[in-house]
Amino acid sequence: MKNSRLITVLLLVVLVLSACSGNNGNSSANNGGNSSTNSEAGNGGSDSGRTGDQAKLVIANSADIESFDPHNNNNTYSESVIINVFEYLVKNGENQEKVPGLATEWEMVDDTTWRFKLREGVTFHNGDPFTAADVKFSFERVAKDSSLKQNSYFKHITEVKIVNDYEVEFITEYPDPILLNRLSKMGAGILPAKYIEENGIESFLKNPIGTGPYKFSSWTKDDRVVLVKNESYYGDAPQWEEVTFRMIPEAATRVSELLTGGVDIITGVPVTDIERINGGEATKIEAATIQRVLHLLMRMTEGTVTADPLVREAIELAIDKQAIIDSIAGGMGTVTRTSVTPGNFGADPGLYETSLFDADKAKQLLQDAGYTNGGPEVTLSASTVYKEIAEVVAAMLTGVGFQVNLDILEPSKFTETYNSKGFKELFILGVGNSLFDASNNYNRFLLENAAGETDYNNPEVEELLQAALSNMNPEERAKQYQQVQQHIANDRPTIYLYQMQGVYGVNKRINFAPRLDEMFILDDIKLAN
Amino acid sequence: MGQYLVRMLLQVVPVMFLISIIVFVLVHVTGDPVNLMLPETATEEDREILRAALGLDQPLYQQYFVYIKNVLQGDFGNSFHYGEPALPLVLERLPATFELAAVAMLIGIVIAVPCGMISAVKRNTVLDVIISFLSVIGKAMPNFWMGIMLILLFSVSLGLFPVSGRGGVEHIVLPAFTIGIGLAAQMTRLIRSNMLEILSQDYIRTARSKGLREVLVVGRHAFRNGLIPVVTIMSLQFTSLIGGTLVTETVFAWPGLGQLLVTSVNMRDMAVVQAAVFIIALVVIVCNMLTDVVYRYLDPRIKYN
Repeated sequence: MKNSRLITVLLLVVLVLSACSGNNGNSSANNGGNSSTNSEAGNGGSDSGRTGDQAKLVIANSADIESFDPHNNNNTYSESVIINVFEYLVKNGENQEKVPGLATEWEMVDDTTWRFKLREGVTFHNGDPFTAADVKFSFERVAKDSSLKQNSYFKHITEVKIVNDYEVEFITEYPDPILLNRLSKMGAGILPAKYIEENGIESFLKNPIGTGPYKFSSWTKDDRVVLVKNESYYGDAPQWEEVTFRMIPEAATRVSELLTGGVDIITGVPVTDIERINGGEATKIEAATIQRVLHLLMRMTEGTVTADPLVREAIELAIDKQAIIDSIAGGMGTVTRTSVTPGNFGADPGLYETSLFDADKAKQLLQDAGYTNGGPEVTLSASTVYKEIAEVVAAMLTGVGFQVNLDILEPSKFTETYNSKGFKELFILGVGNSLFDASNNYNRFLLENAAGETDYNNPEVEELLQAALSNMNPEERAKQYQQVQQHIANDRPTIYLYQMQGVYGVNKRINFAPRLDEMFILDDIKLAN
Repeated sequence: MGQYLVRMLLQVVPVMFLISIIVFVLVHVTGDPVNLMLPETATEEDREILRAALGLDQPLYQQYFVYIKNVLQGDFGNSFHYGEPALPLVLERLPATFELAAVAMLIGIVIAVPCGMISAVKRNTVLDVIISFLSVIGKAMPNFWMGIMLILLFSVSLGLFPVSGRGGVEHIVLPAFTIGIGLAAQMTRLIRSNMLEILSQDYIRTARSKGLREVLVVGRHAFRNGLIPVVTIMSLQFTSLIGGTLVTETVFAWPGLGQLLVTSVNMRDMAVVQAAVFIIALVVIVCNMLTDVVYRYLDPRIKYN
């Protein structure tokens, strides 16, 4: 009996040691052995998408794309893939200036009419020529079918008139100062009119074609999307023969794939793995500010505790945003008091890179608000995606006297509650901005949209927002949004936790500069030498 | 035998019918898919229109009748999420799932049968203690942790196998072992205890006393009888693997049925959830029938009527 106990203990020790050394060993093993690992393991799996081949690129995302319908996707990772297949009329340049895409020139005819000259000599992947009919088909589809997820961005386009084969006119319901922003964001991809009319949308989605530098090859759901070079692309010849977007939900697995050379680029690197990737001989970290700003939205409905401006101010002062960035995001983020960050139209730099934090004053404010015996009770809702952040915020609020009920929801349950405006006092929301315009940030505070969500109601803000919606004078419009920002910063229907960064792991054979809009523009990703 | 099969098949119909009702009700009470399908800017009117278009504004029992009528014609409806018929979406995942489950099962058996037998025959020796200890550990290690450890050791450090994905034979080794080790651990314990019980039976003593070699005693007399409960467990395990390898699928980015099922439940993609549960139920029933047949072959005392 004594013997067997001894053996048991010994075995346990051996097991634990082997597990630990497996963990530590990988960084050293991978320091030297990356290329050999790559070739060894890569031999058998020709279909595994390994990176041995110079002209092949493999990117690993955490989630699968929604579909190949550019009008019916509503998330950045889907668009980051299909943007290489379907092109926009207008593209975003390096500093968000508008540069020609499938349209070469444009002019505003009057406040509600824009004329676009289309690029000639462009063909879809099946050889059909790209003409004005495709533009009409694409935009009238997304503008008129309200079941499409991108419909709300385009529904004021009443008509697309064909002037001739290579000229179109966009007619909008009201003057739209940001039509060009809309035409250069997700949902504005041009579809092949003839192909879809002949074959139907279902068959198109199985075999999608666009005009982009890369063609659809295959999509195995929850596994991978494979794109191949479009040999007859009108622009510079695409540089990758084949690009695979793999879906790898588990972060530890993505990191391991990167370290073994199985993939070239991974998204969503956990903070805890940054050092390991930077320490790898063949791998590096690339991080860049992205358009996503974390909001803490507050319900101002009469009768809720957060209807009291003192309570809302106390909440803002209670939260040490820099501490959240440092503890949860590994220091990668920027504190801000506005969500209109630099690079977006209407930004107010005075509210960027600044944060209010004063726990003592927060306590005092709660006293002033009449909470002398125990602070107010609030429910803080967040999706599991932001669980850690919500926990830290809850702790900070508790620290100044709030009683916080933490309500962490599965992403789909969160979306469902969000769409039905069912949250209580507080909820955390990550908000991106594919429009690069302040309107995208503030339309949620229009009376109509705020009703039931924050119930924010400031007539001055309403007036400014309504005016800015159709103000065709850019300078005046920018000022209107800057005024709105000041109001929001004081009224606090939301406060901003911080602007996030995209953290990517990259194989050193690749030069990849992450973009503000989180897109993978494949031809901007180059071999290092 | 033929009569027995007919009787079994007749039992399948009401079971599947009951399952269809349960799944239908469960899927419909867990939430409204319309909120997830429409953009956040949708108005209440948009939602009503979509609800009507999907038939979700009808009373539940009416929705069920429409549903079951279509199912009888082989139509499980269209996936909200993918906009494609649900049944093919489920069926195209089955090969990946079967592949993983079968290889894991094989690994489990190959490890468990010899280990369990040795453990029983060499009871209370060092060998038995080691095997028992390893099987406790094997059972106790969560798949999630085991999967990541196998990746770190065999892919990152040793570079022997690809980290993740489904492709050639080398891709299945790590995920199959992740599941197989747990299975082996459980079956080893079971085989050991069964064998121990059988080895103490009178007929074994008789066999020994008539001078039979120990190999024959264990291999012929004890083994076949020891196998009977194991067959049951194997069948149960296999069927649970068909829908239940989600953790392993997630760790290894294995595009199986588990991934589809969870995505669909999260998206309230009713058609796919219903089709998936239906197919899984069918697999379970077929497996159970096969088990019964094997059982009767192994144990002639069980009669068909």
